[in-house]
Amino acid sequence: MAKAKTSKPAVKKKEVTRSYLKRYWQLYFLLALPLLYLLIFKYIPMVYIQIAFKKYSIVQNVWEMPWAKNHGFEYFIKAFGNNDFRRALRNTIGLNLLDLLIGFPAPIIFALILNELCFKRFKKVVQTVAYMPHFLSWVIIASLALQLFAPGEGLVNMVVERMGGTSIPFLNDPAHWIGTYIGMGVWQNFGWGSIVYLAAIAGINSELYEAASVDGAGRFRKMWHITLPGIKPTIVVLLIMNLGNILGSNFDRPFAFQNNLVMNVADVISTYVYRTGIKGLQFSLTTAVGLFQSVVGVIFLLGANWLSRKLGERGIW
Amino acid sequence: MKKKLMAILLAGAMVALTACGGGKADDSSAPSTDAPANDSQEADTSNDAEDAAEGEAATSELVDGKFAETRHITVEVYDRGNDGGTDPTNNMYTEYIKKGMLEDHNVEVEFVKVPRWTEVEEVNNLLAAGTAPDICVTYSYPTILTYADMGGVLDLSGYVEDYKAELTNLWDWLGETNIYWDKDPVDGTIWAIEGKLAVNNRINTFVRKDWLDKLELKAPTTTEEFEAMLVAFEENKDTLLGADADKLIPYSVSYDVGWRAATLIESFIDPDITDKELYVNGYDDRKLTQNGTKEAVRLLNKWYNQGLLWDNFALYGSGDTTEDDMMKAGYVGAFTHNWDYPFRNGDDSINVNLQRNVGEDACYIAIDPFDDAKGTHTKYVSSTAGDRKIFFPITNDEPLACMLYLDWISDPEHIQYLQIGDEGVTHNVLDSGAIQTVAATGDPIMNSGMNIDYTITCNGLHLASEELTKLSQAYNYGGIDPDIVAEADKIAQTDAVPAKNVNVGAIEAEANIGDTLSAKRDQVYDNAVIAAEAEFDSTWDSLLADYMNSGGQAIMDERAEKWQATFGDTDMLP
Repeated sequence: MAKAKTSKPAVKKKEVTRSYLKRYWQLYFLLALPLLYLLIFKYIPMVYIQIAFKKYSIVQNVWEMPWAKNHGFEYFIKAFGNNDFRRALRNTIGLNLLDLLIGFPAPIIFALILNELCFKRFKKVVQTVAYMPHFLSWVIIASLALQLFAPGEGLVNMVVERMGGTSIPFLNDPAHWIGTYIGMGVWQNFGWGSIVYLAAIAGINSELYEAASVDGAGRFRKMWHITLPGIKPTIVVLLIMNLGNILGSNFDRPFAFQNNLVMNVADVISTYVYRTGIKGLQFSLTTAVGLFQSVVGVIFLLGANWLSRKLGERGIW
Repeated sequence: MKKKLMAILLAGAMVALTACGGGKADDSSAPSTDAPANDSQEADTSNDAEDAAEGEAATSELVDGKFAETRHITVEVYDRGNDGGTDPTNNMYTEYIKKGMLEDHNVEVEFVKVPRWTEVEEVNNLLAAGTAPDICVTYSYPTILTYADMGGVLDLSGYVEDYKAELTNLWDWLGETNIYWDKDPVDGTIWAIEGKLAVNNRINTFVRKDWLDKLELKAPTTTEEFEAMLVAFEENKDTLLGADADKLIPYSVSYDVGWRAATLIESFIDPDITDKELYVNGYDDRKLTQNGTKEAVRLLNKWYNQGLLWDNFALYGSGDTTEDDMMKAGYVGAFTHNWDYPFRNGDDSINVNLQRNVGEDACYIAIDPFDDAKGTHTKYVSSTAGDRKIFFPITNDEPLACMLYLDWISDPEHIQYLQIGDEGVTHNVLDSGAIQTVAATGDPIMNSGMNIDYTITCNGLHLASEELTKLSQAYNYGGIDPDIVAEADKIAQTDAVPAKNVNVGAIEAEANIGDTLSAKRDQVYDNAVIAAEAEFDSTWDSLLADYMNSGGQAIMDERAEKWQATFGDTDMLP
């Protein structure tokens, strides 16, 4: 009896699904493409995560490699016992936090300022000029930095010295290096990063501004009470995505900037993995490090998302 | 309807495309694990078979040294990316080799280029992907050892023995010294054979002769005199460079301090050092852990703080030409480098550029300024081995054809042609009979000096007759005064101590660690040189402790232990 009762709607549902699919199958067909991409380049390679728990050999199939010692956790133990790894971990978190602290608000402020400009043409020019660095690769930016900031022959230091000052060790003193590194990061990204915010600002209902003007609000009041709350969801989403990256690090930026004199603060996980893993042939160790990095990244992402929903925002899913 | 059909077609095409792309991706990723595994099994079984019946196989496979069916092998060649160079995999010299190998052995040769300055990384990647060339060359033995430990390298001991009759040129040229250099004393495996250094000169210190003349200085013969000379350069920079005075660098050292101040560092090592100490403390080829090195670096540190060194030296990495360009522009007073460095590269050599940019009398000459505790000028040079190492990865399924290639490339006639090329094009024959190298352009240009990248078993001039080689040595650098070269050669050989082969078996602590330690080594050197004088000791000690803790100490301990086990209590090699 019960069966008959439930089977009827199921049939109906099936029919609905079928007609739905019949109608939209082309869209699903198109979706196959990105799905396939994800499967091949993002999911299948995950099979090789097991290298982190195995003793790597170049000649064996990943399934045939023997398990590492300590129930497969040999390389995790080794990594956390390794000074270089701990140093890289510290630097990654430190540099990323600084990036977040200084680099994250920069495009928001820039977007707010741009939004207040009344000369449309000037605004366009400023915007374009600010985007430009985004299209330069880090290798080029690092070479530029070398030409500008090197002690002795760098343009900036030459000016400083001619003015009677002493040359500033932008690239060869650890503390100064951090400043240069963060500064160049902000310079490269704030223009490009502001696009999203400008788009969000454009979406704010202009009646709100008119109403505020009628109530006698000035520019700063309007910025504070209308523009900022208006782009708050965007800010939160981007913040979550940035937090997910707190342990991630792109490779080319630190790699291009670092030199032997500042390795103590400049060596991050990605460059550590490159040096010990690819150059030093310790694939298991560095896969373990990479896995750890990803797991922490996911935890941060989930945590930030949870927090934002707790605070009444939408989160990213 | 038409639109709809079009959309379906397009979507279908795109999916098909990605499927192809995916297939390709699989191709490139899968062999890194699957294919080599199969190959290794094949290689294993064939190895067993070969061990038993290799001699027979050799005779049956080869008729007059030729294969019945054409074989195909791939050979690594360095890509130096020089200006105006040719494609290292396809030029008149590769054609010469390909043609010769096909005619003599019926073996088709294909060259695979690997960037010179990142060779270790590149070869690693190729090996891991299972696409390494059949014949690989590298300067780094630890890399080979690491791969051998994973089962990724062919053991050559069987091949060199069993095919001895087919490999006369190889045996004649390399001899037991180089072929057995890396033979494991316990199990007899040979993972690599050592290419031979025809000239074992290593390093020299160079100085601007015209500056010495201008300031009426003698070429320094002691460390104090050298220092006085650097100070004189700095004090007279206005006289020497005029408007460019600020750019003057009295003594230039790169980030690779251990190499670029090697003559200075070696002069601080006890000239009576025992073989055991030299070996136990000698893992690092830049002598970081030898007794005495610290004091040498202390002197460099003093010079740095006096403004006698290049203040940006640590910011430019390997392969960067900034420093060479400064030498060519005439800003650098003295430097230490490979014994013939300013003479290399024909028309683009440092000395030729210097004459072009500064004037006829501008040139670098070799000097011998650093005296050690005994007043001699000890230089630790290579033996005939210790240069390039040749190995076959496990994916090599034509080991015999590859051995024949090594034999062919070791034939004195072939070496001679590759080194000096055609008469009238890349060399002239002088009245004395000496061969004078001419800097060529266009297709006959040699991407590496004397084509050393092709003559992988031979580094250094080696003509068919020994007399001719001696006679021609000094004429071997296009555009360079032979007397300067002869003098540099003489100085490089003064008080030279050739390296000895300490073969106590593989040191396990050395596997997997080479690059980590050499990166740390450079950090120790660089940071110690730029430290404030008062902080030199603490900088050196803390960074060296880090180096030791990261594996340096373990290597020393194991070396000492294995020395003890092999040679007992004696401190000198038999």
